Amino acid sequence: MSAQSVGSSPRRGGGYGRVTGHQEYLADIKLPDMLHVKLVTLDVARARINSIDVSEAESLPGVAFVMTAADLPDPMPRFGPQFQDRPVIADGETKYHGEPVAAVAAETKDAAEEGARRVKVDYEKLEGGIFNVTDALAPDAVLVQDPSLRGDSPFAQTNVIDEKRFGWGDIEAQESDLVVEDNFQFPMVTHFAIEPHGFMAAPTGDGIEIWSTIQHPYLLQKIMAKMLQLPLSKVRVHAPDPGGGFGGKQIPKFEPLVAFMALRAGRPVRLVLTLDETFQQVRRSSAEIRIRAGFTSEGALTFMDVETNFLVGAYVDIADRVVSKSSYAAAGPYRIPAVKIIGRTIVSHTTPSTAFRGFGIPQIGWARESLIDEAALQLGMDRLEIRLLNLARYKEAFIPMEEADGDWEQTVRTAAKRIGWGDPLPPNRGRGIAVGLKSGPTTGLSYSTVRLLYDGSAMVYAGTSDMGQGARTIFAQIASDELGVPVEQISVVMGDTAVVPYDQQTSASRSSVLMGTAVQRACFDIQGKVRAMAAELYGVDEAAIKIDSGNLLLPDRDVAIVDAMQQALAPLGGEVIGNGEMRKQKDPNHPLGGTAAFFEFNCTASEVEVDMETGHVTLVKHVTVGDVGRSLNPQQVTAQDDGAAIQGLGHTLMEHYIFDDEGRIRNIGAIDYRILTSMDLPLEMHSESIENADGPGPYGIKGVSEGSLLVTAPAVAAAVREATGVLIRDLPLTPQRVWEALQEAKDGS
Amino acid sequence: MNPFQYARPATVAEAVALLEEHGPDARLLAGGTDLVIELRNHWVEPKLVIDLKHIPELAPAITQRKGFLSISAGTVMTDIAEDERVQHHLPALVEAAVVVGSVQIRARATMAGNICNGSPAADTAPPLLVYDAVVVVAGPAGTRRVAVNDFIVGPGKTDLQRGELVTAIELPIPDRPYGAAYTRLTRRRGTDLASITLCAGVDAAGAARIAFGSVGPRAFLVEDESGLLGDPGIRIEDKVEPLDKMFELASPSLKSLRASPDYRLAMLRVLGARALETALGRLTKELVG
Amino acid sequence: MNETLTIRTTINGRKRTIDVAVNHTLLDVLRDDIDLTGTKECCVVGECGACTVIVDGRPMNSCLMLAVEIDGKEVTTVEGLELDGELSALQAAFLDESAAQCGFCIPGQLMSATALLAENPDPSVEEVQEGLAGNLCRCAGYEQITKAVLAAAKGVPR
Ligand code: FES
Ligand code: FES
Repeated sequence: MSAQSVGSSPRRGGGYGRVTGHQEYLADIKLPDMLHVKLVTLDVARARINSIDVSEAESLPGVAFVMTAADLPDPMPRFGPQFQDRPVIADGETKYHGEPVAAVAAETKDAAEEGARRVKVDYEKLEGGIFNVTDALAPDAVLVQDPSLRGDSPFAQTNVIDEKRFGWGDIEAQESDLVVEDNFQFPMVTHFAIEPHGFMAAPTGDGIEIWSTIQHPYLLQKIMAKMLQLPLSKVRVHAPDPGGGFGGKQIPKFEPLVAFMALRAGRPVRLVLTLDETFQQVRRSSAEIRIRAGFTSEGALTFMDVETNFLVGAYVDIADRVVSKSSYAAAGPYRIPAVKIIGRTIVSHTTPSTAFRGFGIPQIGWARESLIDEAALQLGMDRLEIRLLNLARYKEAFIPMEEADGDWEQTVRTAAKRIGWGDPLPPNRGRGIAVGLKSGPTTGLSYSTVRLLYDGSAMVYAGTSDMGQGARTIFAQIASDELGVPVEQISVVMGDTAVVPYDQQTSASRSSVLMGTAVQRACFDIQGKVRAMAAELYGVDEAAIKIDSGNLLLPDRDVAIVDAMQQALAPLGGEVIGNGEMRKQKDPNHPLGGTAAFFEFNCTASEVEVDMETGHVTLVKHVTVGDVGRSLNPQQVTAQDDGAAIQGLGHTLMEHYIFDDEGRIRNIGAIDYRILTSMDLPLEMHSESIENADGPGPYGIKGVSEGSLLVTAPAVAAAVREATGVLIRDLPLTPQRVWEALQEAKDGS
Repeated sequence: MNPFQYARPATVAEAVALLEEHGPDARLLAGGTDLVIELRNHWVEPKLVIDLKHIPELAPAITQRKGFLSISAGTVMTDIAEDERVQHHLPALVEAAVVVGSVQIRARATMAGNICNGSPAADTAPPLLVYDAVVVVAGPAGTRRVAVNDFIVGPGKTDLQRGELVTAIELPIPDRPYGAAYTRLTRRRGTDLASITLCAGVDAAGAARIAFGSVGPRAFLVEDESGLLGDPGIRIEDKVEPLDKMFELASPSLKSLRASPDYRLAMLRVLGARALETALGRLTKELVG
Repeated sequence: MNETLTIRTTINGRKRTIDVAVNHTLLDVLRDDIDLTGTKECCVVGECGACTVIVDGRPMNSCLMLAVEIDGKEVTTVEGLELDGELSALQAAFLDESAAQCGFCIPGQLMSATALLAENPDPSVEEVQEGLAGNLCRCAGYEQITKAVLAAAKGVPR
């Protein structure tokens, strides 16, 4: 078929609002008569709440009421996507620095803030807070979660939520010429979406309306309906386009709290977090990884043994899924006879970790790729060659029930060429290369409705959240090609559960593939209906009419779908409605509950220059190449890839939470938590796509948007290692850390 | 932010009177880039905020007088960085002014405010020390001039007394060929608070001085007594000892988030040597040109 | 109670007389009092630039200004960039280069870029990066944003 819009880069859907300030984000919405909410938090991680005195706060002019655990149903309602462990508000004990203990509702923001300062919390700091893996696993460790919440888990009396074991072959039975082993760490980092999280709720008499910066409105709807014992039809979720999500906005946080407050007030309430507060609510899981691998003298992998302890925070959120999904792919895209993988989900008295671009893979990939470099060094092999040697080839089964779904060798060779692998290097320069692999969604369910309107324009309804990835544009492009309607005449409606049909979620780079297919099928549905109408109109046999890019091919002539529709619907007008559904079924035999819809495969290569006196790393050149199947919108794909790469450079070079001994985050906010600015970019940067149209989505696409940050850290660290000779096992590679490693090497030699 | 009263004096005398009356209950609003954060976080809770922006005597102005440049208290970093006379005579000050925050911050932050906050990390402090700046202070007893080295006292502390405010900063134009350079240590290239601020100055007679901040309670000015540092004939590798001596006063905080004491001390040496080299290069250029 | 002051100011070309609380920032007043919500709030410490507006020709962080400070001054926000319903060259270039992803940082980026081009109509890549270093973009569209600013500067027709 000759697609016109797909493969081009029309202006972004929603772009006009974004460049004029008219785009309505959550905090831009004002509800009539709304109350403003301010949270009350303690400057401590783990504390027992003895009592909360709200009288002074409630007596302030403008303060409506203060909500505490005492005002909520008993037992405290709890929720979560995997475990029902998160309370609506802290109940008797705080479990992380920044967990709210009370919330003040007031007529103005000023009054809410003042009220929050006047709430008197009598609390005592509890000893034994768990802030790292070692403390969490100590035999006498304080239990972060009440065992009564843990059901019949065999680990209920520990801080381990679950232990995942995957693998194949017998690692002990393999013969190796070389075995390498090492330990790596990945710190806690936060999403830092420029839009802080926000939540609103308004009672509707027999139900509730909720507004949230959420990525998964239908999950929120389900959780709220259950908690408030309302039918789904009485819980309406509005999800305005998030101002950046990166995974941090997938899972409900304070929506239940604002809902209970709105019900109590009988009025709308709004809670918009500050950036500082947001810092305390979402982060990426930190990890400690022990990894061991065997090789033949030629460099072929004989086995891999990976054990990862993920420190996930006070409530599990979606972290246990992060652990299982990333652990399953821990051995990477390699052909390995025997693999043993253990991944542990460990709770602690820290900010609950959640989904974050890459979903656990950056942590494990950091260790694995660094270890492969060590093996290459010891074997005297080129670091590119050792990867090419072990890389699974096209269609090769490399993990049980999964096969390589792309020409990964082509991807790696393209990246190597781009970085100038093997070219001579000036002093203090080095290069690194790494490969990363992430499973796409394992299950999915997306519905779409498309309305072809009488004037030839169209509306697409899709429950995806467009948080910057450009889903609106993609869906409009698909509908444009299938219906022959110009992209500018298509409106994409999202973010309202009362209007838009169900979508499971916006995550795992799924939307183009899954929702894209649903949109395409809805268009097919319209095509079928118009074909039937045309058959009658022109007196042709339906089967004799073919359809190609917006046209009906009649035996004697072509008619645009739009024209046929208009003729058929005249004189009353009206529209043709199509529905599409895309289901990726569960597979009960698969350890993850389903095969990967696709893999995001990426090869990242970096060249750096290190200032040997200060430890500063300058990124001379940074290359990422992803296997995308097909680039539906090349401009957006590049923007996603560049963005992911730069985010990866953040956790590689400068991002991390810094804690004090008591589990308080010391670098909350934008002053001392550094991310890259426009002045910190690589001097040269390339994001490229391999396009073999071999993906499962429309026109052969695969998902994109995470690949470019999967293995940023090991690629850059390998470059630093080549430049300096020092191996660093913890991130980020701050000037101070690089300098310290250089000093150590000097002292040691 | 707590409620407060807001006053807009039209003259320095009025501002002084308000300051004298309200003492610690009053805060001055100049650039506001620090004050607004302090107010929002309740680090300060003044009853009165005195906006200096409507006082003509303090309005942004850089004036050349006999032998010195006078920079009014209302002058922002952007003005300083863009002024050709400052660029020509005091390049190290420009280097410091252009790294204060972002473009947006530099359009608001005043140099007087930078010094009055008493932050040990103030970027402009080291060049002001090296260039022997003089702070002009107005108060109930009239106007006095204080050497910047005496004006800066400690973290959050200056020589300002009750009722006093800074009206200008005067910078002598070097009366001899002079090389000076400013540099800093940060965690990223983009805007950042410095873990070290450092300025080196040398003249043709070989007199060298280094001012450095962010590694102790205040920015320090140290003269080179060895006479070696300012000698362009001596290789930088042979200046390690006298250079180390310059930094004896450094006492970097153990608690800092930005860099460890060991790293800061080591970097003082590195940055000191680099700034010195740049300063010597500039001096040579002046002598030749 | 908050003390208020009546100020006279010009916002996006329109003269206004407004009563503002003296302890409210310009950002508060723009977003909450006069419904110009295009200016965004994020860090409120002058680091992210999401709140950038142009005051008398210079870009400033509205989160670090008291609203009373715009008395007698001219303020431009993102809502004031369109002229007679036409996107400014920068706005159009941002669209064409796909520089706006989630879009949340974009109003601030546009204001810094507008001020930059007014001052320096033909900037180099480095000057653009420097000029926008006070505007964080977590979608990290820095390359696209820089391209858009350069394209707008060159007046490259779409
Ligand atoms: S909100 Fe003003 S700079 Fe971030
Ligand atoms: S476009 Fe999302 S933060 Fe810049």
